[in-house]
Amino acid sequence: MLANYTIDGFENIQYQGFGRLRFIENLLTDLYANFGYCQVETPTFEAYDFYANEDSINSDDLFKLVSSTGKVLALKPDATLPIARMAAINHHDPEEIIKFSYLTNIYRDFSAPEIQKKETTQAGIEYFGNQSPECDGEVIALAILSLKLAGVEDIHIDLGNVGFINELLGVLDLDPDQKQRLFRYIENKNIGDIRDFLKKTDIPEKYKKIILTLPRLYGEPEKIFGQMRGLAVNPAMSAAVDHLSAVYAHLEELGLSQYVQFDLGFTNNMNYYSGTIFKGYIESFGEPVISGGRYDTMSARFGIERPACGFGIDLLRLMDYLEKNELIPEQAHAKSVVLYRPEEKPAAFLFSSEKRRSGSAEMFSLKEIGAQDMVRKILKNPHYKTADIWLLDHGLFRWDNDRFAPADAENSALYQKSGEVR
Amino acid sequence: MNDTPQIRLALAKGRVAKVAINLLEKIGWSFPDYSPGSRKLVFEDSTGRLAFFLVKSPDVPTYVEKGTADLGIVGRDVLMEHPAKVYEMLNLDIGRCRMCVAGYPGTTFSYNRKLTVGSKYINIAKQYFDSIDQPADLIEINGSVELAPVLGLSDVIVDIVETGDTLRENGLDVLTTICEISSRLIVNQVSLKTKTDAILPVIEAFEQAESGD
Repeated sequence: MLANYTIDGFENIQYQGFGRLRFIENLLTDLYANFGYCQVETPTFEAYDFYANEDSINSDDLFKLVSSTGKVLALKPDATLPIARMAAINHHDPEEIIKFSYLTNIYRDFSAPEIQKKETTQAGIEYFGNQSPECDGEVIALAILSLKLAGVEDIHIDLGNVGFINELLGVLDLDPDQKQRLFRYIENKNIGDIRDFLKKTDIPEKYKKIILTLPRLYGEPEKIFGQMRGLAVNPAMSAAVDHLSAVYAHLEELGLSQYVQFDLGFTNNMNYYSGTIFKGYIESFGEPVISGGRYDTMSARFGIERPACGFGIDLLRLMDYLEKNELIPEQAHAKSVVLYRPEEKPAAFLFSSEKRRSGSAEMFSLKEIGAQDMVRKILKNPHYKTADIWLLDHGLFRWDNDRFAPADAENSALYQKSGEVR
Repeated sequence: MNDTPQIRLALAKGRVAKVAINLLEKIGWSFPDYSPGSRKLVFEDSTGRLAFFLVKSPDVPTYVEKGTADLGIVGRDVLMEHPAKVYEMLNLDIGRCRMCVAGYPGTTFSYNRKLTVGSKYINIAKQYFDSIDQPADLIEINGSVELAPVLGLSDVIVDIVETGDTLRENGLDVLTTICEISSRLIVNQVSLKTKTDAILPVIEAFEQAESGD
């Protein structure tokens, strides 16, 4: 057995899967282009210093390298941050409407166990310069449409607003460590531990009650709108509720609200989200395939105050689902294999060119091998099982039922076209 | 007539499952096929609305995270050792015990002396000793953990302790308690939202049974 030098956490994509991945990628990039998003790409390497100060991604989870000048580099761990930076560098007017789409590989979870995937492919959009709920609505609608276009019907979008929790916890006197723990409990809907946690703090009773309601603040939007309003204890929380209801109204008018439910009790480990936040799930799989939201404060780090909203789709996971449910049409791609005696090379080339008008054609010389042996060799790879195999040997023959039979009709067509070659 | 989807519950084999099944029966479900010695893998209740299956405890969060089970009941120790993306909705009063550091009485922790720790719960042990800045060498042991200090494989062990009888019989004692452990009702993040009407009654029934005791 030879060593295969495979690194755990990384995957080969076989040619069958690659075709399917390309199919989804084209579907999505066309969709985003039709909505006016321009595709961009940022470098694979990023400055490590930038992420070392970024609390969204643990620096243990970055892939690090050192450049020849001694700079520490990191493999791109996130698509949104570099694109926001790119927008800040090239577009200096904060009011400018900028719509970008991307398709990129990202590298994360360096310190995670080997069985966890570390290289993922993401497609998505970033919409800058628009603060209106309609902008959030368009972004979420595109997230839903991306899945629908891929043939997924079992779509579930969790929609929330981090402003709601942040404003509430901001009022309370908690140290960062306590705050983080409480966040995690709320996100896990860990009501038991929240109760124990609250018992040990001297948060006013009024707030304790609200905090205990947060994990249960999910479900049909109509049902929980009233509840949310009742819980808003300051204008900033009310504003979060207003924004959320406007986003929902937008989706309702587009006829996409049936995929959306509210959840006010969830956050995102990417701490840059500042308002609307959403996750898209398919089937019952506990991990989202889509993650997105509003990040109005991020661009300030690059020297410009600019509202923004966007999302990313985990393409490999989406592809797994589509493959499992056979939602990707098999591309019927005509394949021809042309075997030729050395003296027939020009004719074989002409014939192959003809075949390539409607599919692929590959040429094999029979200089050192018999036609039958060559066929056997070719068929060793199952890829060729569906190919038409032709033989040019003073006439045209076609492989059929384990032997070559004269192909007269094709032959006369070939003679007409290649008359001057012969 | 059955238009509510079936709810699947993953239970950790053993003591926790026994109590959980009793609790389920107490709150009104009946499982005619189930008997402790049965070789069946999945048991449906008489209405077909709820089904449960028994798996090894570390597999419970896996089944729930992937959505194969909508609900699961498993000890907090398992969730601490193998974190999963699930909702930990209820603390159940089943399988109450403590996660402890145990060893010979008088064993002291000191930053200038490395401690050898044997445990099935390597992550929990590492986190704990990191949090108190105690240098520790960890050795993974899968069963009869008490043997390790007795035979000298390790200075102390990290394990769950219910009564402490096994420890005392071997001359060992609890040195510190890391945390309290009880069983958790965990829920798949998507099922909770998409099968709300079927799942909520089950969760509420567990909640009431808890507060009733």
